[in-house]
Amino acid sequence: MDRVVVVDHLVKHFEVNEKRPGIIGSLSTLFFPKKRTVQALKEISFSVKKGELVGFIGPNGAGKTTTLKILSGILYPSSGFVQVGGYTPWERKEDFLKQISLIMGQKNQLWWDLPAIETFELNRAIYEIPERSYKRSLDELTTLLDVEDILTVPVRRLSLGQRMRMELIAALLHKPEIIFLDEPTIGLDLVGQKVVRDFIDDYNRKNEATILLTSHNMDDVLGLAKRVIVIDEGSIIFDGKLEELTAHFAKEKEIRVFLKNGADYKKLEEIGKVKKVKHPEVVLSVPRAEVATAAARILENFQVEDLTITEESLDDIIRKVFQGKLRKP
Amino acid sequence: MRKYLTIFKISFQQEFAYRLNFVLWRVRNVLQIFIAFFLWNTIFSDPGRVVFGYDRAKILTYIFGLIIIRAIVLSSRAIDIAGEVSRGDLTNQLLRPMGYIKYWFTRDLSSKALNLIFSVFEASILFLIFKPQFFFQTNFLLFFLFLTSLVIAVILFFFLMFIANMLPLWLPDQPWGMSFLLFIFTDFLGGGVFPLDILPSYITKIIYLTPFPYLLFMPLQIYLGKLDLITSFNSILIGTVWVIVLALGTKVVWSQGLKSYGAVGR
Repeated sequence: MDRVVVVDHLVKHFEVNEKRPGIIGSLSTLFFPKKRTVQALKEISFSVKKGELVGFIGPNGAGKTTTLKILSGILYPSSGFVQVGGYTPWERKEDFLKQISLIMGQKNQLWWDLPAIETFELNRAIYEIPERSYKRSLDELTTLLDVEDILTVPVRRLSLGQRMRMELIAALLHKPEIIFLDEPTIGLDLVGQKVVRDFIDDYNRKNEATILLTSHNMDDVLGLAKRVIVIDEGSIIFDGKLEELTAHFAKEKEIRVFLKNGADYKKLEEIGKVKKVKHPEVVLSVPRAEVATAAARILENFQVEDLTITEESLDDIIRKVFQGKLRKP
Repeated sequence: MRKYLTIFKISFQQEFAYRLNFVLWRVRNVLQIFIAFFLWNTIFSDPGRVVFGYDRAKILTYIFGLIIIRAIVLSSRAIDIAGEVSRGDLTNQLLRPMGYIKYWFTRDLSSKALNLIFSVFEASILFLIFKPQFFFQTNFLLFFLFLTSLVIAVILFFFLMFIANMLPLWLPDQPWGMSFLLFIFTDFLGGGVFPLDILPSYITKIIYLTPFPYLLFMPLQIYLGKLDLITSFNSILIGTVWVIVLALGTKVVWSQGLKSYGAVGR
């Protein structure tokens, strides 16, 4: 087993200073600071194999970004075991840093006042990338992301989409084997999102890079991740294939009925939750265990033209994940 | 080593990206010199007068020496560290395979190089305008000691700045408090406003125990030949002790601070 990322019983809590509102509140905070401990991660464990692309999803504040920051060595954990590429991340050994990359959609490493090419040159020096492979990577990346003609424009004059592409280049010039992506498509327009998404997919396959990705963008998750880890309130509540997500979380199934004229919709409500009525079609939501009986009752009591039973869509499930509406089943 | 050379180059270019900002900062420096020059020029209007052991040539050399020494010692990019930490941009730096302390020291040096070029230029112009009597140190040993004390001053100031700028690792919403305090101490206790030896000796004795006089005052004193060899050596020794103490302090503060860094900002 070629496990590149190993996380075992990882715990992280933060001390947060609470601020009370108002002038008196501010003063009392100054003299009597009130600390509160926030449990960001509660003993999470998982591992990732080489070349895997894993989606890390969950509602805001669930602990996704915290996990990525610990894995990339920026944050110290409170306790637990973490190994990435054979290294302990927070020791921040140069050899470790040379094989990873953390890309955050909202943070830029590019020098604001200078053209992006200057940051690339800087990274070439810092990462000690040999001249030839630097040239090759740069050519390849700039062509792929279509930015050859804006390399010498000062970063502050670039659009967000252009900047994000430059960020990707700056973060990938050293050909990292392990990449942590935090909301890579945030704030981008649809075209920009697609460019970035296709690029990530391509990079993953071509370089056999291991990628962990967090996103609140449905298309990112559906388009990229084969495996997802769902995290909520600091705990992992699901870890498995994307397709298994539905079966795992959907407590209900949908019954779609086409009724013949003159049926009484009211009565359907006794059988299950009516989600949609669009004559003659009615969609009912029924607990998984009762699906068979519910269907039987409908067929018995109504004049039915057609009836199908479907799973809740993956879209809906993921949307619920983002909203934090799913708990441990 | 090569990576730090590249950092040096890019940092140098960055200073030029905000030309106006840089020019205004230089103008401020020149104005400060003007004020000090006219003040002391008035006091020493009688060419034979000696005040606090300074004659006209030496005090004017002190003032002009300050331009150059300020440019070398006090021009610093390390003041940007606090902002970087409190905005959470430190995160990006931590990901790079490089030494963070070395990175900022390199940027400091590049800022110093640029400021030095400009201040030599400014000092020459002011020199031509005022045509002051200038004291040239011809004793080779003293000049060498002066250069040594300058190197110590540069390192000392860097460590002081670095430590002061680490504050937001613990208090991210209060980035600059410590640095402001440091600037005031540096100017008043370091000899940036007046030569320290015009103060009563019991006060200077206390001040000499702090690291501040070794930033501006002592290098200038050595240059002016106001200290004998033994005292010059002593001053360099105390400066060196402070460098060691602050180097250790920087390491401790940095490694402890990282543990409490929240990597916030988003």
